Formats: sequence, structure tokens, C-alpha cells
Amino acid sequence: MRSRRDLLKSLAAATTATLALPEPRARASTAGQPIEHPKPTADAIILLWMAGGMAAPDNLDPKRYQPFEKGLAVADVISTFPAIPTAVDGVEICQGLEEIASVLDRGTLLRSHVQPDLGSILHSRHQYHWHTGYVPPQTVACPHIGAWMSRVLGPRNPVMPAFINIGQRLEGIGENEEIKAFTTGGFFGSECGPMNLPYPDQAAAAVRPPKGMQPDRFASRYDRFKQLLKASPHGEYTSDFHQESMLRSLDNAHRLLSAKEREAFDISREPQEVREQYDTGRFGRGCLLARRLVEQGARFVEVTTEYVPFLHWDTHERGHETVARMHAEIDRPIATLIRDLEARGLLDRTLVVIASEFSRDMITEGQPGSTATDQAKSPKDFLQEPSHYGQHRHFTGGSTVALFGGGVKRGFVYGKTADERPCMAIENPVSVTDLHATLFTAMGISPRTVYDIESRPFYATEDGEGKAVEAIFA
Amino acid sequence: MTVASASRPWSCSPVAVAILMAAATGAAAAAEIDFAHEVVPLLEKHCGECHIGDARQGGFSMNTAEDLQAGGDSGLAGLVPGKADESELIRRITSTDPDERMPSDGEPLPAAEIELLAAWVAAGGSWEPGFSFESTLWEPPLALQPVTLPEPINGRDHPIDRVIDAVARAQGRELLPAASDRQFIRRVSLDLTGLLPSPEDVEAYAADTSPGKRTALVERLLGDDPDARLRYAEHWLTFWNDLLRNDYTGTGFITGGRKQITSWLHQALVDNTPYDAFVRELVAPSEASRGFIDGIVWRGTVNSSQTVPIQFAQNVGQTFLGINLKCASCHDSFVDRWTLQQTYDLAAVMAAEPLELHRCEKPTGVMASPGWMFSDLGQVDPAAPPEERLAQLAALITHRDNGWLSRNLANRIWARLMGRGIVHPVDALRTQPWSEDLLELLAADLVEHEWDIKHLLHTICTSEAYAAVTPAFERSASSSDRFGPLPRRLTAEQFFDCLWQLTGTAPETPDGEVKRPAAEGDEPAMVRAALVKCTPLMAALGRPNRDQVVTSRPTELTTLEAIELANEQSLADQLALGGEKILAEHGPSPEPIAEWLFAAALSRPPTPEELTACRDLLSQQPTSQTVADCLWAVMMLPEFQLIR
Repeated sequence: MRSRRDLLKSLAAATTATLALPEPRARASTAGQPIEHPKPTADAIILLWMAGGMAAPDNLDPKRYQPFEKGLAVADVISTFPAIPTAVDGVEICQGLEEIASVLDRGTLLRSHVQPDLGSILHSRHQYHWHTGYVPPQTVACPHIGAWMSRVLGPRNPVMPAFINIGQRLEGIGENEEIKAFTTGGFFGSECGPMNLPYPDQAAAAVRPPKGMQPDRFASRYDRFKQLLKASPHGEYTSDFHQESMLRSLDNAHRLLSAKEREAFDISREPQEVREQYDTGRFGRGCLLARRLVEQGARFVEVTTEYVPFLHWDTHERGHETVARMHAEIDRPIATLIRDLEARGLLDRTLVVIASEFSRDMITEGQPGSTATDQAKSPKDFLQEPSHYGQHRHFTGGSTVALFGGGVKRGFVYGKTADERPCMAIENPVSVTDLHATLFTAMGISPRTVYDIESRPFYATEDGEGKAVEAIFA
Repeated sequence: MTVASASRPWSCSPVAVAILMAAATGAAAAAEIDFAHEVVPLLEKHCGECHIGDARQGGFSMNTAEDLQAGGDSGLAGLVPGKADESELIRRITSTDPDERMPSDGEPLPAAEIELLAAWVAAGGSWEPGFSFESTLWEPPLALQPVTLPEPINGRDHPIDRVIDAVARAQGRELLPAASDRQFIRRVSLDLTGLLPSPEDVEAYAADTSPGKRTALVERLLGDDPDARLRYAEHWLTFWNDLLRNDYTGTGFITGGRKQITSWLHQALVDNTPYDAFVRELVAPSEASRGFIDGIVWRGTVNSSQTVPIQFAQNVGQTFLGINLKCASCHDSFVDRWTLQQTYDLAAVMAAEPLELHRCEKPTGVMASPGWMFSDLGQVDPAAPPEERLAQLAALITHRDNGWLSRNLANRIWARLMGRGIVHPVDALRTQPWSEDLLELLAADLVEHEWDIKHLLHTICTSEAYAAVTPAFERSASSSDRFGPLPRRLTAEQFFDCLWQLTGTAPETPDGEVKRPAAEGDEPAMVRAALVKCTPLMAALGRPNRDQVVTSRPTELTTLEAIELANEQSLADQLALGGEKILAEHGPSPEPIAEWLFAAALSRPPTPEELTACRDLLSQQPTSQTVADCLWAVMMLPEFQLIR
């Protein structure tokens, strides 16, 4: 429980922060209609990002299963994993996701998410679209949706960064510049941009003194800096807003670096059995870190399986085998996260979202009729070897998003894809724009929220037209 | 910003107001009416000539919702929200009486358009709040206008001061006194070369008693010797890299869809290529400079406002002319007078294939005709091949009577040196400047001195206005509240250059391919931050991703940046190395270390109180660690991070 004093303190800090924010400015209305923010059903979002294209038929939307056989017609294979029952009667997901199956009664499966194919299927472009709501290129630098949440809502806890991005390296991987282009505060500026924590087990270092500097030296360096500042004849500039904001930021930084909230970044403080429960690798540790950060007041946390071309979910070959490995990486930590949040009473106000830039299929690239180039090498006629067995093509016609907590229905399924190829969304298709509208709405942000940038309005959802999927809210 | 009242709703399909057509027309069809895209163009097209802007025939104006509702001399309401049949607007466009029907000359409106307007009125005639047809845009003559200089006040006879002092006097303000010598040399060195002045230079300058020393200093910094040229070039490279969207890494390079212009740009800055030639070489490029007009070739489907020719139109408009064609890449601009046709015509100058206009992503069937918007100066030959058209365009843009080219650069440079544009924001050049005379004066200075950018810098930096003190600045203050320089934050590149000057930790080789001649026997000049790839810390401190043209840097330090400054490892490592070096060179006792740090970083000696604080930081027996901490503390002072 937060005391009233804490609350007032945080409000005061939020107000100062808001006043200090540079352009662009928010508009109060658009097209003559005032912008009214909905009542939030969630205070925080944890986005579990399945980077590289998570195939729905091999994960959360199983179809007819066909095991590998040499010489088998590819057209006869849809799912490469058999279906298993879940905690929700009549709803199945794929084998390998037993843990997630056991917590499915806490959430909603949205099985009709669709994406445009953009003429060429590129992970970085689709991820840009998914994360900013706008198809690249754009004439301005678009903010990540986490930056929108940060800008519109501010931090939940003034000490904690509002937007934290876990697990994605931005250097030394393929397409890193393309990834950076959407991992940003965009035109909102770096105040709203992500704090990047590529390695969850090193996150504590991000809020710790640099290597080789003891905490007492670090603290005394700052104290003495303040003495030096006090001695400065430049005290005459105390009302100068540049100077003021600079000192306020330094103060905020040192406050976090010495606050108890800092411990949230340190997953080694968790009991060993909890760490083991989460720890299937970097992603699993990221889930644990996300829980700790949200618990201390982070607003928007993304945890990614990491996008690296041709790795992880980007299964251009050996798809089946790779997906089996991915199952092992994500299944336990995701289920643990849901249970853990629930046990701590946080799930009701924390929306956990599992999503990916598109689905995959064994035959169809993009959608039927697409002109996108097929980038997979595996044959489309008959399977010759196990490496051909798997969803090697990028499919934009229907994928599944899972949502838990944060006001969404429990044990609910929305939308549907066709049972036979092409497995297009055939019921209630939900675009990226509408899915974002749903997330914004859950957080109490109108999808029509608009800021003026370069003399033109720029909306939280494209053209202000996102419509939340109301049916999934409890 | 004065255009605020003329701001219009923008988007390709904005939130539409759903209404029942049935209410107005009896037809049982439901439709959506979009004020910005449907109503505004109709009113503009059919009624504009007589009832919009300054025109007010019959006492009737449609500039604002209130004007339109009020009606004209007849006393009848122009528009009654929700009641099409009581609205004079609808009655007059549907009248069959030739004396009453509007428009009074010309054909009646097509039935569909009448229906749409009637339906809009019936649905309440909703109006974008604040929207006005009346333009508040600045529309000076194309050519620069002569400026009559006011009489000097207090003997301040620099042309800039004559203009500014007269404005200040007219507003009853005091003229600002000059900053101290030490403050001035630090300011002008950082502005012209991006580097801190050496303690020796500061002392020599402070001790100099000659009256012309300020001018002499500016001339030395802008000098012709190879070192000065290189220092100038490698500082202003940052400004131009942003403006020309040039970088060493970034999106697009992965598939060869983007080219650098680094070697060309670096050389052009070293040579101080006249600005008209500089622009010509960018618009009608050689192989080395074509990266600018070639833009970024994005993979996959690209929306029609981001094709290479449209990027060309937008970037030429923004970078060189200060006009915003981004809105007008989708539809006629709502915030300016630029049209979709003008944007496409400009784009077509470089396009190899004929270009069809796309309005909000939909083909229109109308073809672009290569050309530019200021045809008073001449026009591109649409029949010529693209390369020839580009050469023609380059000649037109750099025509000395194209005031937008010189005004735009003068304004950008003024903003860089003074903290705020004469026209602000700098990309909205059609906003009223706070002093037209000042802008015309600076633009003319550039043109009349063979487009010599260094000459313009010299002119600004030798004025009393530039040399004035910078008192505390409130965010709410407007640019005309202050006639001297505002405090400006170091760019990420300046921060690193200063760090490397103090610690000696600059990288050994540049990433950009550039020629950096050093005189025989001389150490090669320090590699500058503008020459190396963006590091995560530089990005954190505001060095942008240059996918788009960038015209301003963040003015404030954010919390995430402050965290990086407090604990980022590479910075800590460099400070540690700096601690060792400074201790070795200026130790072992604390006082000389503190004195050197202050002289090198802040261009002044410490006060006794500061010396005491430094002694606390350094301890009686300074170690490389305590020196590193003291260096950090000095670098975190706003006095260090802000140029005053």
C-alpha cells in the first residue's frame, strides 16, 4: 500500500516532470471532438515479445497435426506439434506449452491478429510497425508504444524509469540499426525512451556505480559535486530552466541509484528456487526481472526472446526443432510470471501480452496473393529431411496474441483462424492499430490521443482510428 | 508560434464525424464527413475567392466558425448548426434564383457536394477548434529586401546591433552588457570549433588589452591555416550531418539503399565551399555527394510519401528552403500554402519515371510536371532529362534572388549560435520573424559576400549581441524577450570532444572516410566525435539516428541520460584514464590540479570556496581516482554542460 504522502509526492513529481517535458504538445481534442481517456483497467504492461515470427499453428493455435515422414506432401502438414488440452475447456494449444496451458484460465487468446504484408516480409519493418503503430518509413521518428505510455501517463513511481526494454541487444547483431529505429522515444525525446537492459542478470549494473567504484565513493562523489555546485558563482542561474532540469535529472538519477527500488534490477536477490523456476535462459531471467520492475512501479516493460536474424523464432530452417527449443525457453517462465503476479496481487492491474510481428506457415509467404518474395529455402512440395519440417515462411494472415490480467477476460477466446490452409483469420480480424487501441485503452489512454509534431497531428494509433477490442475486457 | 491559429487538422483519414446523411437529404444512407478533408477543400474552392482570408464580400467571411455562423450584411445566419434549411450557406448554394445563387459567377456546385455540405451542417457543422482559414503565415517578397539601418545607440555600430538595439530601445529595454572575456572565449571557441580553449589561450586573451581583440579571436578561430580549417570543419560536420541526414551507420546501409557523403562534406567544410556552390553540388550531385538526394531506399512497399523522389522534395524543401512539404506529400498542406501538386512537381525533377500524384495513398490520375514552386525566378524544363533538370533546379535554388535559401541558412546559424531562431521553430520559416530586418540583414550578408558561411559566422560573432551576457532564462520567455545568446546545451559530439580534450582518450582513427592532412612533423589532430560512429552513450546524450533530416538537438538532460553520466562504464573508464593523466601532469598537490581543471574545463580560475570543495574531492594526497572524481564533478556542473 502506498501512503497518501507517497502519493502526493509522486503526483508532485509527475507534475514537475510533465511541466518540464519539451515539445511536442498534446492536443485536447481532434476533429472537433474532445479526447476523453477511458478508465484504465491496468496500471502496467509487460509485453513478452516473440521476436522473429512465432508460428501460430505450432504454438497457441494448433491445427491438424502431422508428424514428420520422409516424402510427405507439405500441403498435408499444418501443425508440426500435436494439440494439448488447457485449463480452459475445449481450448487447446500446442504440445510443449503445458505450463502456459495450465494458466490459460487467467487470460484471453486473441486468435485473429493480422498484419499487412508490406510488399516484402522483413522482420525489422514489421517489428517497427508493431512497436510504433506506423509502417516505416515515416517522415518523423515514431515513438515506441512504451514511449507513448511513458509520455502520456508518466512513471508510476517517480524513482523508476517508466519504459524498460529487456533482452534486446542493440549492437553487434544483424539489422541493429533497424531495431534501434523503433526502440526509441522518437519525437517524444529520450526522456520517454526505453532504458535498455539487454542482459537481465547484468541489469543491476545499470543502476549501480561503474565497475571499480565502491558505493561509498560513488555517494561521496555526488555529495561533493553538490558542494562544488553550491560554491559555484553560477548560483545566479538557479531559475534558469536548462540548469534546473539538468540538476533535477542528475538528482533523479542518483535517487534511483541509491534508492531501495534499485534492488528491483537485481534478480540475484530472489530466492534460489524462484530464480530456478524462471531461469530457462536470458528470456526467462528477463521475465523475472520484469516482475520485479513492475512490482516497484515500472510502467511498460518489454521482454524479448531477442531478434537476431535467423535465430530463435526466425526459423528459416529446422523450424520444428527450433520451435521445440523455443517452447522450452518460454513455457515455464511465462506461466511462472502469471502465477507469480497473481500470487502477489499484481495480475489484476498488470496486463501481460504475448505477441509477435507475424505468424508462420509451411507454404504461404505473406498472404495468398502476396507479391512478397519467398525467402525460405525449404521445398513446398515434399518433405525430404527433418530440417524441412517446420514453419519456414512468414505468414501475415492470422496470428495469436495472448493477454493475461489487466482487466481482460479469463479463459476467453476471441477471433478464429481457418482450420485448413491458408489459416487466415476468419472471424473478427484485429489489426495492429486495433490491438494497440486495446492496449492503450486498458492503460486508460484514448487511441485518439494526439500530439502536434512539425505542425501536424500525430496519433497514438494510426490516424486516431484504432478501435479497442471491447469484447475481451471483463 | 503564430501559425497556431491557422493550424488545421491533419491526417490521411482523421477521425471522422459519423452523421446520418438521411437527416439532410432524405436518402437513407449513412456516411461519414471529415471536416479537414471534405469540407475545408469545398469551402476553399467554391467560396474562398470572396469569403476567405481578407475577402469579405457582402460582409461575409468564412474564416472561422463564428464568422461563418454569423453570416453577412443580410443579417441572416450563415450557418445554424444542425439546421441546413435555416442556414444561409445552404440556401444560397441551392437557390435557383440566379441573383441569389452562390457562387455568383461560375457553375453551381455539383449535387454531391451540396449534399455533403448540407449533411455536414445538419450534423452540427463541427469545426476543428482553433481552425481558421485566415493565414498568419509570413509571406515576404522572394528576393531579399533592403534594410535601412537605424542609427547606432551608444556607439554600437555593428549592423546587427543597430537593428537589435533599435528594437530593444523601442520596447524600452536595457541593452545587454558584454559577457566577461573568459566567458566569451569559451563560448566562441565552442561555437566555432566545438572545442574548449586552452588555458593558455584563455589567459592570453584575458590579458590582451587591444580594442580589436574580440574580432581578432573570431578571425583566428575562422582562420585559413590548415589546423583552424580542420577544427572548424569537424565541428560544423555535426550540424551538416544532421541537416543532410548523413551518417556512418544506420538503416538502409544494410542493402546498399543509402550512401554516405562524408568525404565530400568534410572536404567542402575544410574548403569553406561557398554555400551556393555547396547546394548546387548537393542538388545536382557528383558521385561523392549524391547520397543526399538519393535518400534512403527502403525495402518492401513504401507509402507514397516516402518514395525516393518525395524524400528528395521534402529534404530539399526542409534543409535548404525551410519549408515543410511533409504535409503536402499526402494532400495540400493544411498548415501552409504548399500543395500536393507542388510537392510532386519538385519530386519529379529528380524522378527518372513520370510521377503520378497520390493523394493520401490513392492514385489521382494527375501527373506531376517537373518544376519548382518559385517560378518567378524561372522554371525547370520538364522535357529535359533528369540530370539536366537537377542542374536547372540547382541553379534556380541558388539564384541570389531566392531569398528563402539565404534566409533559411542565416536563421539556422543564428539559432545555433544564439539558442533560438529569428524565426522559431527553425523549420517553419514562414512564421513571422521577430525582426524581419535582422533576418534580411544576415541573409544579405551571406549572399553579398559570395555565400561565404564563415563570413556570416564572423558577422554574428563580432556583434555585441552575440557577446552579451546570458542571464537566467525562463522557459516561458519568448525569443524577442531576449536579444542576446541563450544558454545552449553541448551537443553529444561537443561533450565528447571536450571529454577527450580533458582526458586524452579520443579514438585513434575516424570512422568516416576523410582526409585529415597534418603539417609535417605535427601530431595528427585529435579525432573528433563527429567523425566516429554513434556510441550508445552518444545516442543517450542526444546524437540522433539520422533516418530523417534533423534540425535540432534535445535541449535538456533527461534522467536516463543522467544515469548514464553517473555510471556508464566507458565514460567511467575514460575518466579513470583522464585521472591518471591529469595527476601525472598537474599533481601531486591538489591546488594545481583544481586550478588546471577549472582553467581547462570552465576557462576560469576556481573561487576560494570552489577550491575548498575541490580539495575535499581530491584529498590532500590526490590519487588518480580522486582526480577522476573531481573531473567528473566539474563536468557535471551546468556551467560545463551549457554554453553561456
